[in-house]
Amino acid sequence: MANVNFVLNHTPVAVEGGLNRRLLDVLRTDFGLKGPKEGCGEGECGACAVLIDHRIVNSCLMPLANCEGKDIVTIEGFSETERFTVLQKAYSECGAVQCGFCTPGMILASESLLHANPHPTEEEVRIGLSGNLCRCTGYNMIVKAVLLAAKEGEGLW
Amino acid sequence: MVEHRIPENLNEALKLLYHGDYQVMAGGTDLMVQRRSLSDTPLDFPKNMVYCAHLQELRGIRKEAHRVEIGAMTPLEDLLCHPEVPSLLRRAIGEMASPAIRHVATLGGNIANASPAGDTLPVLYLLDAWAELRSLAGSRMILIRDLITGPRALKIHPEEMLTKIGIPEMHFSHETFVKVGGRQADAISKVSLAAAADIVEGKVSDLRIAFGAVAPTVVRDETLEGAWEGATLSELKVGVWRLLDMYVPLIRPIDDQRSGKHYRHQVALNLLRDFIESLSEPTSEPGR
Amino acid sequence: MRDISTSVPKTDHWEKTAGTAKYVADLAPEGALHALTFRSPIPHGEIRSLVLPDLPEGYASVDARDIPGKNGVHIIQDDMPVFAERTLRYVGEPILLLVGPDKTVLKRLLSAIRLETVPLEPVFDDRRADVWHHYVKGDPDQAFARAKRIIEYEYQTGLQEQAYLEPQGMIAIPEGDKMTLIGSIQCPYYVKNAVVPVLGCAPDKVRVIQPPVGGAFGGKEEFPSLIACQAAVAARKTKRPVRLIFERPEDIEVTTKRHPARIRLRAAIGEGNVVEAIASDIRLDGGAYLGLSNVVLSRSMIATTGAYTVPNVSCSGEVYVTNTVPTGAFRGFGAPQIFFAVEMFFQHLAKDLGEDPLAFKLRHLAKQGDLTATSGTFRDPILVPKMVKRALEMSDYQNKTRRYSGESPYRGLGLSLFFHGCGFTGSGEATIIKAEVQLRKNADDTVDVLIAAVDMGQGAKTTLAKIVAHTLDLPLDRVRFPYPDTDVVPDSGPTVASRTVMIVGGLLEKATQKLKARWVSGVAVQLTERYQPPEWIKWDEKAFRGDAYPAYSWGVDVVEVSVDPRTYQVKIEGTWSVYDVGKGIDERILEGQADGGMTQGLAYGYMENMEIKQGVLRQRNLTDYIIPTACDCGPYAVEWVENPFVYGPLGAKGAGELTLIGAAPAVAAAIENAIGRRIRKIPATPESLLELIEYGKR
Repeated sequence: MANVNFVLNHTPVAVEGGLNRRLLDVLRTDFGLKGPKEGCGEGECGACAVLIDHRIVNSCLMPLANCEGKDIVTIEGFSETERFTVLQKAYSECGAVQCGFCTPGMILASESLLHANPHPTEEEVRIGLSGNLCRCTGYNMIVKAVLLAAKEGEGLW
Repeated sequence: MVEHRIPENLNEALKLLYHGDYQVMAGGTDLMVQRRSLSDTPLDFPKNMVYCAHLQELRGIRKEAHRVEIGAMTPLEDLLCHPEVPSLLRRAIGEMASPAIRHVATLGGNIANASPAGDTLPVLYLLDAWAELRSLAGSRMILIRDLITGPRALKIHPEEMLTKIGIPEMHFSHETFVKVGGRQADAISKVSLAAAADIVEGKVSDLRIAFGAVAPTVVRDETLEGAWEGATLSELKVGVWRLLDMYVPLIRPIDDQRSGKHYRHQVALNLLRDFIESLSEPTSEPGR
Repeated sequence: MRDISTSVPKTDHWEKTAGTAKYVADLAPEGALHALTFRSPIPHGEIRSLVLPDLPEGYASVDARDIPGKNGVHIIQDDMPVFAERTLRYVGEPILLLVGPDKTVLKRLLSAIRLETVPLEPVFDDRRADVWHHYVKGDPDQAFARAKRIIEYEYQTGLQEQAYLEPQGMIAIPEGDKMTLIGSIQCPYYVKNAVVPVLGCAPDKVRVIQPPVGGAFGGKEEFPSLIACQAAVAARKTKRPVRLIFERPEDIEVTTKRHPARIRLRAAIGEGNVVEAIASDIRLDGGAYLGLSNVVLSRSMIATTGAYTVPNVSCSGEVYVTNTVPTGAFRGFGAPQIFFAVEMFFQHLAKDLGEDPLAFKLRHLAKQGDLTATSGTFRDPILVPKMVKRALEMSDYQNKTRRYSGESPYRGLGLSLFFHGCGFTGSGEATIIKAEVQLRKNADDTVDVLIAAVDMGQGAKTTLAKIVAHTLDLPLDRVRFPYPDTDVVPDSGPTVASRTVMIVGGLLEKATQKLKARWVSGVAVQLTERYQPPEWIKWDEKAFRGDAYPAYSWGVDVVEVSVDPRTYQVKIEGTWSVYDVGKGIDERILEGQADGGMTQGLAYGYMENMEIKQGVLRQRNLTDYIIPTACDCGPYAVEWVENPFVYGPLGAKGAGELTLIGAAPAVAAAIENAIGRRIRKIPATPESLLELIEYGKR
C-alpha cells in the first residue's frame, strides 16, 4: 500500500493507502482534527478549508493522493501563530463571529488572502472570502475584521 | 479492484495510460464532486485513477514566439496574475468559482471536464486555443474546439493525456467576457459571452463571438463572423439585429435547476448586442 | 455603572475562532453506530412491500415496529410520524434507519432495499385546506359597501431554505434505561418532550444536551425532534449510541422550509384616499404535515395590516397540505410573507390612487394607542416617523429617487416599514411554555445561569450572561452560562419567537435582582423565577382577538438597487436601516443580527429560489440553491433608537427576527422602482424580471 507523505501542522506525517479519500476525512478521522468542518461536501461553502502551501483549499475536494509533499495547515496549526492572534482580535472587535461554523475556514481564507496580498482593498477582501459562505452574518463585519487585521498586523504578512 | 496511482513523472503516467485503463485526475475539483460519496466513505471511481496534478513537467506558463503555452496542470490562480496569459482568459478565470477552487483547479481539467458551462471554454474557442495530447506513441495538437465534441466528450484516445494548452497571440481593439451566474461569485454560469473585435481604420478586421452555457458545447461560428469582415463599424452597428438573428438558431439553451431557456437565450443576445453597440472608433488604448 | 449596550467580547469567541468548539458531528461516543435513512422515493402512495437485504452481524434496521411508545413527533400538531408505516406523503419521508459500524456497508445495504409502492394521486395545489381561521375587526362589510373604490391584488412568496452552515445531526446514547440526546438544536425541551412519548418512558429517563450549534434560523426548532426520536428508538433497540448526521443534500431535501404563501389583499378606499378596510386571504403551503403551521399562519394573520392602522379588517387564513417536504419554522415565522404582501400592497394602492407611496404609508402608520388588526392595543410609543426621517437622511432617499427616475433607468430605492411581535403569540407564554429560570450563586461568588436557551450564533450565551452580570455589577467572567443540559437546567422555553432576551432575559433580570438583595459573599444560594404574564395581556385564541404580543419591535429599511438591463441581475447598491428593539443588550451583537438578517431577508426577496417539480426539489445542494457570498453585499448602515420596554430586561425587546422581515419588501420596492414594473412575487429572480419587463404591467 502506498504511503502519502506530507507535513501537517508543521509535523511530517505519512498516511497509508486510500489515495482517493478526501483530505477532510483524513484530517478529521485519522488525525482527530475537528477544526475543518463538513458544510456541503462539494467545495461551495469553505467550512472545510485548510491551507496548502499557504493557499486556501477546500479539503472536501482534495484527494489524499494530491497531498503528497504538501505543507498542510489546519486551524489547529494556524491558531498557534501571531498572525492568528491578530486576526482573532480583529474578528472579536468587529463582531465577525456568530455561530462559529464558518469561522475556521473564514480565518484561514483571511490568512491566505493576506499572505498573498498584505494590503488588500475592500473589494479584494470580498473576493478573497468569496468561497466561504456565512449565513449568520452578512459578511460586512467579517470584511471589516480582515481590513482591521491587515492594519493592526502591519509587518506580519 | 480500482487502482490509484501517483506517477513520479509524465512518462510513468503515460505508461499507465498506455498499458491500463486509467482516468486522469488533475486538481480534482470537478471529479471529486461528480463521484461524491458519503463523508468518510471512499469515492466510487469506475476506472483506475492516475493523479497528475503534481507533475512539474505539466505545470508552468511559457511565452513562446507568437503564443503562450500553459501546462495542463497549472493551477488557475497562477494564470490569474500572469501577464503573458491573455487578458480575456484572465478575466474568465477571475469570475470562476472561488479562490479555494482556483488554487487547485487547472485549465486542463476545465477542458477535459468539457462542461457546457465551463467558464474558460468560450475564451479558449475564441482565441483558437489548441491542446497538446501526448501518449507513449507520440504527441499531436488539436484545436480545443475540435477536441470537445459534447458534454464530457472529448476526441481523446484512452492512452492520451492532455499535457499543454497553447494560445496564439492576438490583438484586439475591443474585447469582453461576461459571465452571468446566480450571484456575484462562486456561481455556475447560466450564460456567458466572450467577444472580441479588431476595428482598424473604421473597418472590422477581426470579429469573434463565443457563447457558453447555451448549447451542449461552446457556440462559435467562424463563417458568421467572417461575413462581417471588411464591414465598416457603422455597418456592423446598424446591422446588429441581422447579426443577432444569425445567432438565434445557434443558441439552444435548456431549462434546468439554475435557469430557463428563454432567459438564457434572451440574455445571450442582449450581451452580444451590448458588445456591438459599445464598439467605438478605437483610441490609442487597445483592449477594454 | 456603564451602559449595558456597550459591546463586550463574546464568551465563546476563543473556541469558535480556534476551531476547538465541538459541534455534534465532531462528537463520536465510544462504540457509536452510524445511521442512514431509507426514504420514500414517491410523493404519495402506500408501501406494498419492503424487502431488506440480509444484514450482517452488527447491523440492524429500525422502523415503526421498534417504537416502544407512540409513532408521532410532538410538534404542536402531532401528525408527523417518526417512521412512515404505510402511507408515504412526500419524497424523502423517512421509512426506516439502517444502523451499523461501517458507513460504506450501510450505503451498500441501503441501495439493496427493495421497496414496492402503490402510487396515489399527489396533491400539489391548495385544494386540501387543513387549517382555517377567520377574524374580524370593526365592520368590514359596511366599509366595503361604502367604499369609494375597491382595489385588490394577489402576492406570492416562495420556499426558503435556512441553509445554516452546520447540517443537522443528532446522537442518541443509551445508558441503562436512560437515553441521552446530543444534537444541533434550538429547543432542548422540545426534543425531550418529543422523545419521552416515543420511548414510552418517564420524563426523567430522557436527557438532552446542547453542544455548540452552527446556525439554525428556525430550521432546528422542530425538525430535530424527528431525528431525535428516530435516533433514540435506534439506540434503544441496538443498546448502542447512534449517530444520525445529515450531509448537505439530504439536509436540503428533507428538512423543513419556509411556508410559501399566496396572499390576496383587498382594500376599501374611502374619503381622502384612506384605507377604511382590508380583507385578506392568506394561504400557506404546509407541505405534507402541519407541524407548527397553525402558529405560522397565526403570525401572518395577526400582522395582516402590517405597520398600518386600518379600522376594519376581515382576515381569512388557511394552511393547505401538499405532498411536498413539510414546511416549518424560519426566522420571521409568517411575518416575512405578510409584510412583503402588505408593503407592496400599500405601494401599489398609492400608485393606483396617484399618491406618493411614502406619504401614503406614513398617513396610515399605526400610532401609540391605536387598535391592532386583532383589536388589541399598541400600548407603547411607536417611533417609526422619527426612524423614517433618519433612514431617509442616511440613504439620501428623496434626492436619489428624484435623480434616478429622471436620468438613471434601472436604478431605484425602496423603503419598508414593519414590526415584529416579540414572544409567543397571545397567552402562549403563560399557558404553553411556562418558562422557568434558575440562578445558582456559588460559594466562590461566581454565578451560574441555568436556562435552556440555545446560543446558535445570535450571542445568547453572552447577552444573557451580560444581563445577570450587569444587574449584579459583576465582571462578566464571574457569570457562567453553560451549554444547556435538561438534567441540570429548567425549561425556560424554546429559543424562538424573538423571546430569548425579552422573556428569558427578563426572568433572569428579576431573579438577579432578588439574588442581589440576598447576596452574601461566600454563601451559596439557588433561586428560581417563573414566568408571570402581565395581566393586561388578554388574548382570545378562538376569536383571534386582543393583544397578540406584549411588545413590538419596529423597523425601517431602505434598499438601493441597480438592475443590469442586459442580464436583469439585481445588484444591492446599499442598505440603510433604523431599528427599535427597546434597548440593545450588546451593540456589536445587535449589529450582527442586522447584518445577517438583512442579508438573509434580501436574498429571500431576490436571490434564493427553490422549486418543486412533481414533489421533487430541483435545487438540492448549495451549488444550485444560491445564497449570498461576500461579493453580493453592498455598503450598509444601521442605527438603533432607544424605546425601553417597561417589562423587558433593561428595556430590551426582541431583535432576532425583526432584521430579516423588512428586507424583502424593501428590495422588491427598489426593484419595482428601478424597472418600472410591479413586483407581486418573490424571489424577484433575473428570470422573473425578464418576464416582467417584457410582459408586465407598469
